[in-house]
Amino acid sequence: MPGSRTRTSFRPRAAATALALCVVLAGCSGGDASSSAGGKVVLRYTWWGNPDRAARTQEAVDLFEKKNPGIEVQTSFSGYDAYKQKLATQAAGGDAPDVMQLDYRMIDQYASGGVLMDFAEQPAALDTGEFDAGLLATGKVDGKQYAIPQARGTETVVYDTEQWKASGVELPRQGWTWSDWADAMRALAEKTGKPGATDPGQSEDAFEIWLRGQGKALYTKDRKLGFTADDLARWWTFTDKLRREGVVSSAEQTSQIDGTVENTPLGRGYVIADTNWDAPSSGFLALIPDGVTLAPMPSGEDGTPGQYFKPSMFMGVSADATHPKESVRLIDFMLNDAEAAKILGATRGIPVNETLRDAIAPELKDFDKTVYDFQASVDGKLEPPPQAPPSGDSALQTTFQRDYDQVSYERMSPREAAENYITEANAELRP
Amino acid sequence: MTTTQTQAAVRGPKAEVPQKPVRRRREGAAWVFLSPWVLGACVLTLLPMAVSLYLSFTDYDLFNAPNWVGLRNYTQMFTEDPRYWRSVGATLTYVVIAVPLQLALALVVALALKGMKRGRAFYRSAFYAPSLLGASMSIALVWRAIFNDGGTVDNLFGTGGWVNKPGWALFAVALLTVWQFGAPMVIFLAGLQQIPGELYEAAEVDGASRWRQFLSITVPMLSPVIFFNLVLQTIQAFQVFTPAFAVSAGKGGPADSTLFYTLYLYDRGFVASHMGYASAMAWVLLIAIGAVTAVLFRTSRSWVFYASEGDR
Repeated sequence: MPGSRTRTSFRPRAAATALALCVVLAGCSGGDASSSAGGKVVLRYTWWGNPDRAARTQEAVDLFEKKNPGIEVQTSFSGYDAYKQKLATQAAGGDAPDVMQLDYRMIDQYASGGVLMDFAEQPAALDTGEFDAGLLATGKVDGKQYAIPQARGTETVVYDTEQWKASGVELPRQGWTWSDWADAMRALAEKTGKPGATDPGQSEDAFEIWLRGQGKALYTKDRKLGFTADDLARWWTFTDKLRREGVVSSAEQTSQIDGTVENTPLGRGYVIADTNWDAPSSGFLALIPDGVTLAPMPSGEDGTPGQYFKPSMFMGVSADATHPKESVRLIDFMLNDAEAAKILGATRGIPVNETLRDAIAPELKDFDKTVYDFQASVDGKLEPPPQAPPSGDSALQTTFQRDYDQVSYERMSPREAAENYITEANAELRP
Repeated sequence: MTTTQTQAAVRGPKAEVPQKPVRRRREGAAWVFLSPWVLGACVLTLLPMAVSLYLSFTDYDLFNAPNWVGLRNYTQMFTEDPRYWRSVGATLTYVVIAVPLQLALALVVALALKGMKRGRAFYRSAFYAPSLLGASMSIALVWRAIFNDGGTVDNLFGTGGWVNKPGWALFAVALLTVWQFGAPMVIFLAGLQQIPGELYEAAEVDGASRWRQFLSITVPMLSPVIFFNLVLQTIQAFQVFTPAFAVSAGKGGPADSTLFYTLYLYDRGFVASHMGYASAMAWVLLIAIGAVTAVLFRTSRSWVFYASEGDR
């Protein structure tokens, strides 16, 4: 019976074909499944930060969901270094989160790469009437508002209050210079037997402040390097000498810095002071039970302040967001809602909404108040911020750290490493 | 499904020359069953490879459309990038340290297991387990914690944090690889069991020592297996990523001492967004691994002994 044999042998093949088709079809239709679950609009919102910020942000998001029953917000967060890489990969794959937290360094790259939505497309959903116009403008690229500043922040010398006071060394004061700072660290190291501060040589941020204190800048107006190998070699010679004296953290400690407060030498209890941004310093409280104090960054030798108020974080909406209106509404809520402002406090810095800023000021407590008072203490004394850094700066920040590793592990002289950096930076900034 | 069935039913009795269509049908069935693999190979391997080759001649940065730059990525790599050469150096050092150590350990353990009468199955599994665990991120993170300052090794031996010392960090990563000697060990064990026992008996009668037996019987008889393991582990070692990424906290540090080729490739591509440059690096790595493998095959002629040759 050849006929019946053929028939039975066809069955599994047909089944396999059908199965293969199903797999292929299922593979094609998976795209939109995540954007609406159970009739709800689902938004993805990502940020970087410490656990404290995560807890408060989640609380604010929960409130947003309560007030907007039709919207579900899926959140995720990580440390800055990991966030930077993840977001770049997602954005490149066309899978950027609907609402994302952005750094000053990222805006130029993401906006010009078409990742971000122009807020002019959703004018009704966000009220920017209460924002300082100058600050708001920092989120513009080529005249278009691609990002909304969430807060402003400034660098600070953050120190373990108890340990510094116990050492008897004179406390930092307004207008202290880098040589005052070095003297204080030297005295701390002598009195306490451990390094005074985290080696600031690895930090591009600290270098920028030192550079500005001499009237120079990281980048020129036309997006080239604003300093020479001589400048960088001087900075690294300064920090390298302190490291050799044991005044700042050892290379083994410094190289563990990865953008989280937990892995900084101060967070690990090896030093007494660190340089960091003001708001993220709240993360130290969980690690240093006696508390920390914020002091201004050192000025140039002639008193020129180097630190500045930087729009500390931005919020942006993906150009491919399936629900742009709801996404912008979430941003509006995070920035303009009085209750949200109360929950968030100063976890990302002092709010940009000026009415809310004044309203919550008296209610701020604990570290939020510390940040507020610190900002008030330097407000009006600083130079205006530089323009947004060019695209390559995000990568150069890492390069800076790596080249300094070569100095601190004594594999290169400060001059060799500085010249290396200049070569790498010029290649990176090449248009 | 039903339509196919009816078609089959209709076509069935009509079949005049049964042989040809049957063969074609068999081929068809083969393709259907192969289709998941073929599809996967095309979409997930060949297409990305072609795209990557194209991108290696462009300045693609993830966000903007790629522009053709000719050989610039390649010339920059070879002439203007000191960090590239550091990564090549670190990778070669790692391959030269990790592969021989791992193979030696695998062979020693396999020899010990071969002579074992009881409990061999248990120990074989026990020694193989790290190979299953070791590739995971979590073990690499544990490894970092063990060798960090204040970690287990530091507390026990006062060594300080190996992972933070440029001279030692690479060794800590290599140790993680060596620890995963299970796969080559199992292959060695199988190879050892193929060696005829009478060779050893004859050698013993002639009064050859254990060491002599090892050198004159075990090594030559096992050489095809040693060669196989050597090629496989070398190729793998060149591409090591996960352990180095986790143990060096994602930076290839300290001071670029564990900046392996793949780590620097990842750094250029995903941290600095130079996908064109990273693609060019990937192709150079492919060619380099091909060249090293070719050299290994060339040298194998002089030291790998195949039993069939002996018959001739």
